[in-house]
Amino acid sequence: MSQSVSRREFIVQSAVYSGSLWVLLNTPRPRALRAAQQSTRREVFSDAEWKTVEAITGRIIPTDHEPGAIEANCVNFIDKALAHEDAKMKPLYAKGLAGLDTVSERRFAKPFVDLTPEQQDDILAALESGKAEGWPAGDVAAAAFFAAVREHTIFGFLADPKYGGNRDYAGWKVVGYPGGGHHLGGYSPAQMIGKEKIKTAWGEEV
Amino acid sequence: MTKRDEFDVCVIGTGAGGGVMIQELTAAGFRVVALQRGPFLKTSDFDDDELRTVIRDEVFSPDQVETYRYDDQSPSETGKFNFTAHCVGGTMTHWAAWSWRFRPDELKVLSTDGPVAGASLADWPITYDEIEPFYQRAEWEFGVSGEAAGNPFGAPRKKDYPNPAHPGRTASARIAQAARKLGYHPFPTPMAINSRPYGGRPECAYGGACQQYGCMIGAKATTLSVCLPKALASGKLDLRSKAMAREITLGKDGRARSVRYLDDQQKEHEVFARHIVVAGNAIGTPHLLLMSTSGSFPHGLANVSGLAGRNLTFHHFAGVGFTIDEPALSFTALESHVAFDDLHASDPQRGFIRGGVVAEVNMPVKQPLAFAVYGFPGYPAKRAWGHDLKDYLRKFPRATTIAGILEDLPMETNRVDLDPSVKDRYGLPVPRITHRQHPNDLAMNRWFTKRCLDLADAAGAVEKWPAAAFNLSDERSAAKGGIHLHGTCRMGNDPKRSVVNRWCRSHDVKNLWIVDGSVFPTSAGYNPTLTILANAYRVADHFVREAKRRNL
Repeated sequence: MSQSVSRREFIVQSAVYSGSLWVLLNTPRPRALRAAQQSTRREVFSDAEWKTVEAITGRIIPTDHEPGAIEANCVNFIDKALAHEDAKMKPLYAKGLAGLDTVSERRFAKPFVDLTPEQQDDILAALESGKAEGWPAGDVAAAAFFAAVREHTIFGFLADPKYGGNRDYAGWKVVGYPGGGHHLGGYSPAQMIGKEKIKTAWGEEV
Repeated sequence: MTKRDEFDVCVIGTGAGGGVMIQELTAAGFRVVALQRGPFLKTSDFDDDELRTVIRDEVFSPDQVETYRYDDQSPSETGKFNFTAHCVGGTMTHWAAWSWRFRPDELKVLSTDGPVAGASLADWPITYDEIEPFYQRAEWEFGVSGEAAGNPFGAPRKKDYPNPAHPGRTASARIAQAARKLGYHPFPTPMAINSRPYGGRPECAYGGACQQYGCMIGAKATTLSVCLPKALASGKLDLRSKAMAREITLGKDGRARSVRYLDDQQKEHEVFARHIVVAGNAIGTPHLLLMSTSGSFPHGLANVSGLAGRNLTFHHFAGVGFTIDEPALSFTALESHVAFDDLHASDPQRGFIRGGVVAEVNMPVKQPLAFAVYGFPGYPAKRAWGHDLKDYLRKFPRATTIAGILEDLPMETNRVDLDPSVKDRYGLPVPRITHRQHPNDLAMNRWFTKRCLDLADAAGAVEKWPAAAFNLSDERSAAKGGIHLHGTCRMGNDPKRSVVNRWCRSHDVKNLWIVDGSVFPTSAGYNPTLTILANAYRVADHFVREAKRRNL
């Protein structure tokens, strides 16, 4: 108990030291962050694209007994990233999504969103290996498109929720991460060896 | 034009080497101008947002561009390969703060092990006894926390660490226990992070964002938190941020005369000084020298030897990730809390020379994106997505990593030069890295990987996997860049075989000094920063003494 008091004192001291720690912790950051905080309104994707990207993310980090990319709203993270930091990847997504449906129609005579999860996995595996039959020739490689969505899905699952994914801390709950340690006020030596509980960013004691 | 203002000293770079020079020279009363290519960030500019800071690198080196090729015959690729920070305080701003003294034999590799084919081994022109007082100075300036008697294989010391060792986390205790079981002698990793309030800075909060982060509370010692506040308070420092040095000019007298630099609007400025200290790290320093050509130095300033940029060393790392049967709590506290040095000494019977320290390293397991991005390549999953990925991610709370910090052998062909075609945002040719591993590195890396796997077993690993992001798994694998940068302007007594002398002063240009990791003739099996700091205190001490004797 005395430990946690000293931690609190410490944070007060450090706020004085750094001059503006409180401001830092409470000031919204620009771009995707602000956009994501304001709404989950689509900024880049059409309704159809949104659904397709959501379906892909759902296969990259699937839902099982715990939430996956769909519950974490990874598609919203990607939409906001493409609107801001990763705007240069918009053509990659536009062409990639068109390519994905072309491959899907050719193989199963249906768009990607209407496939079974197993069929979707088959298509994505084909993209990943660069052997997707029917992938349109051009400047976007199937494997590059897959790699981009895979990486974005991971970011959307595990980055701070302020970026628009990791909804309700779903990703951090799945991987057992309480949140950024400094934002939580640091950890005591007892917490570092599991002798004292840790309070998570969503207020749970673990 | 107004009468030109000449400073006593211009220091290019404000990291470990430059920061100490600035601190010491301003304290001695010299008027110093310091140039740093990036912005002057404050503690309030730092946070532990992994996406912004680590993954997207929006804070420390957003405009860094380099090229890499395996050897002269291989094609180049363009990217960002070295872990550097461009803000005031340099790369030390986001260091993890491991603080080692090199062992005496590490300064005398050629004498200790003899020549090795294909390697350009050399002795340092100084002995451990000469640098020892300055190690002590650096430890006390930077408030290193450690246990002086902890490492029976470490360098000798005359004084204790200024601060006690940090408490560890669960993973550290398990690693220490395993090391003891195998007959090793584990001890707390010495770290320049406050374990109690020290130097006007607070104690560590153990929030877990050290390596690749700026400390939000200043508990981590950096030149930004230790040296530069003192220098600025002296009134002797003109600190110019967003100032990218592009050329050192030469006067008719053969002395360096000025530094031309570009501000962030690409506007050129020139600053004059009687002495010029280059401290741009082992990539940036030779990059600047090679861009500074003149009639007397057609191949780059201070490069009569032709060695500026050569003998680049990065270290190599043998890492093993593993899980234990309880929460490892790797996301708390420092990058490393425990190390052992029993395998450090050179022993040719092992099939290679040299070695290094083995330690807990939480870098790939401290935050979830790092775990997903750095950890996955070595994890034996069938697929890097789907249920395999999700099952892997769920191992995060029980995961830890150990790694050897291993000495790589210098090779003249491993080097930094100017890329012939790729330009940076200033229009300057980017540094081109040519780097492959000596066969000794590959043999050492495999051997240490096995020892790390043994240690994981002894720690009761549930699962274990070599961290493929680091290990040198096959003959063609090589580091494209480094976290530890050294060797490209080696110091030595022979002007034909070194770039600077034992005082880190150019053999060719008398008022030009190089004070950073560039001057390391060999890389040693420890993180380099404390040695860069100690060497800078040593050079500054010499500079001030010689100046008083009017000998410069």
